Amino acid sequence: MSFRHPFPARNVLRSAVLLSCLALAAPAFAQDRTLTVGQNRDPQNLDPIDTFRLSWGSIGSNVFDGLVFRDEDLEIQPGLATDWEFLDDDTRIRFHLRDGVEFHNGEPFNADAVKYTFDRLLGEEGLKGPQRSNYTSIREVVVVDERTVDFLMERPDPVLITKLAGYGAMIVPPKYIEEVGEEAFDMKPVGTGPFQVTEYIPTVGVKLAKFDNYWNGEAKVDAVNIRFIPEDATRIAELLSGGVDISMNIPSPSVETIEQNPNVNLLAVDGPTVVLTRFDTSKGITADPRVRKAIAMAVDRDTIVQALLGGLANPISSAQSAKSFGNDTALEPYPFDPEGAKALLAEAGVEPGTEITLDMPSNDESFREVAQVIAAFLGQVGLNVNIRNHERSVYFDDIIENGKTGEMYYFGWGGWTFDFDNTAYLLYHSGERNNPYIEDEKLDTLLDQQRETYDREVREGALQEVARYAHEQALDLPLYNLSTIYGVSNRVEGFVPAPDERARYMDVTVK
Amino acid sequence: MTDTTQTPALSALGRFKQSPFAKFEFVAGATLTALLTLLVLFSGVLFPGGGAEVNLLARLAEPFQSWAHPLGTDPLGRDILARIVHGGRISLIVGLLSALGSVILGTVIGLYAGYYRGFLDTFVMRFADVQLALPFILLAITVIAIVGPGVDRIIILMIVSQWVQYARLVRGSVLSLRQREFVQAAVSYGLPNWRIIFRHILPNAMGPLIILLTLNVANNILLESSLTFLGLGADPQTPSWGGMLSEGRSYVQTAWWITVFPGVAIMLTVLGLNLLGDWLRDELDPLGKTR
Repeated sequence: MSFRHPFPARNVLRSAVLLSCLALAAPAFAQDRTLTVGQNRDPQNLDPIDTFRLSWGSIGSNVFDGLVFRDEDLEIQPGLATDWEFLDDDTRIRFHLRDGVEFHNGEPFNADAVKYTFDRLLGEEGLKGPQRSNYTSIREVVVVDERTVDFLMERPDPVLITKLAGYGAMIVPPKYIEEVGEEAFDMKPVGTGPFQVTEYIPTVGVKLAKFDNYWNGEAKVDAVNIRFIPEDATRIAELLSGGVDISMNIPSPSVETIEQNPNVNLLAVDGPTVVLTRFDTSKGITADPRVRKAIAMAVDRDTIVQALLGGLANPISSAQSAKSFGNDTALEPYPFDPEGAKALLAEAGVEPGTEITLDMPSNDESFREVAQVIAAFLGQVGLNVNIRNHERSVYFDDIIENGKTGEMYYFGWGGWTFDFDNTAYLLYHSGERNNPYIEDEKLDTLLDQQRETYDREVREGALQEVARYAHEQALDLPLYNLSTIYGVSNRVEGFVPAPDERARYMDVTVK
Repeated sequence: MTDTTQTPALSALGRFKQSPFAKFEFVAGATLTALLTLLVLFSGVLFPGGGAEVNLLARLAEPFQSWAHPLGTDPLGRDILARIVHGGRISLIVGLLSALGSVILGTVIGLYAGYYRGFLDTFVMRFADVQLALPFILLAITVIAIVGPGVDRIIILMIVSQWVQYARLVRGSVLSLRQREFVQAAVSYGLPNWRIIFRHILPNAMGPLIILLTLNVANNILLESSLTFLGLGADPQTPSWGGMLSEGRSYVQTAWWITVFPGVAIMLTVLGLNLLGDWLRDELDPLGKTR
């Protein structure tokens, strides 16, 4: 576990004075405690099977429960299922369900609700959204009795239990959906979580109210008001002026601003998001592994992390964080060695002054700085880097997907399962939409192999082999694992930052 | 070879007494513009590195503390003063080229449409109406999303969307000038059309054109800054005023100098050009007679 330093309040005296002022005003609004949160994006749809956005996680995780639940230490805990067992050579998984749970509309939670949830996910309705593909290893869910269900497996799925804590596996109420219809459910969903949705206004925000009959205790605030504030500077200004109590998605350039303010704390926790620059391995000078290695050796990642990102990131040697299953701690990043890089480039016949292009999405402020520092490092070994900006959706849906990038391009990914399978498959398996260039039989075999077994050792071995192979070939340049950074007002107590951005507000209080 | 008619408008230059404010406008406008042009012309000599050297050890240095970085440094440790002086290049190149391109295109089309009328006139002017209704920023964002970013594209986009103003202005002047006696006289002398257009009509339509041109240059410098601010302009390593503003946005509360100095540079440039344009208007059209 590696929660990092909630920064201590700078000025205790001033906080005390402020507090006493607040105490005088407090009785006026003591009856209705509302927590206000600012986040950068609107998930646009609150139905759990219609989305894969992180912006849904920080709303939906307060409204829904799954059969299992992953806590802030990334440990799997019992949720709506109290325990589970593997039967018939792991082809059948039996879940025992919790008693006395009800949905926000009063509907009881039972085996039928579980079956309905997965029939819906794996059927027609699920086909319309992005979640279904994560769960196709399940053939069918069978009701054994009111409190027991069996999952019949199509094929082994080692990450299934983790995935049951994921978005697509959130348990939904059958009667409510049949009554109001799918479209109404998108806008006003009902779950079994500690808060219920009272109002959702697209692009503006979501209002949540405490659910009194929650099975696992009681929320400490009466309401949560989540506002969508896409502009970083505005969201941070709202935090500093007291307009929001918690601001999510703090970009690294703003860290200093928040650190200097005595009324606001910075909470950072190792996140799932890794940032890398990938190479066009199919043509140009980067088709030569020596050139790719030289580029990796020319960039000083430690300096980038310390000087630019304020230390709120960790250098990585493969496209996964230290917490990820499949991470090989023995694998070291290429050492910073500009002279060695120059020698390798000369060996590969690359003339000093050769121009290469680095593509990136235009709205990523923190990477824009990093990209320019990378360009400066590469300039020192004789590569002139042009940085090309693209509008975000154009970048991901066209430039990357259709292989129109320059020699290098930005890629960031948050593997929410914290299992390398999630990221490695989409980065290295041939034919994946985010992998326009790499087609490698060895990687395909390894990646397919580890998807077919529950044996943790075999899987870990295969995933580490993928990471080592990618490193040896320098298929990409893994840069760093970003911390998830939250700005939190002094008024807030009990907020535990979630590494996967699935912020939970149940135990939070506002003074 | 002599011409029998005179060109009234241009002879107005210098005929009227200048008010003290007009003098001030000229002096201030000309000084600012000349200073900027000089700085930009000699930017390579003054700061040979182009403000591109990254030095993470000197990041976010405060202004007015050392001669090495008189205006401080940005988050990557680059010298703000060097970047402002070099950034002026992009602003000036975009401002001048785009205005020049649109004034040439617009004037040719406007002269033709106003002088010959006919189908082309109707077609071009309706087309112009449509184009004026399109917001430039929206057009720019859409086009750049399709063809990719770049300074050259921004200039072309500006020309394509701004020639219209010049065409309308010139066409209007031509329509009224055609009826004037000196043009009628030229026609009755049997002068060729091209000669009437360029010797008699164009010089008399110049006044408002020059005024619009100065304002247009200023306006396009602002537009370039906005587009770069939105991340749609130059490579972020190439210094430009809009880009500097955009990069400094997250630091406004901790390092004001990153945004304030390029902001001041934009303001002074636009102010200089506007003052000059104002003064020119008074000079070329002292009675405020231009349509």
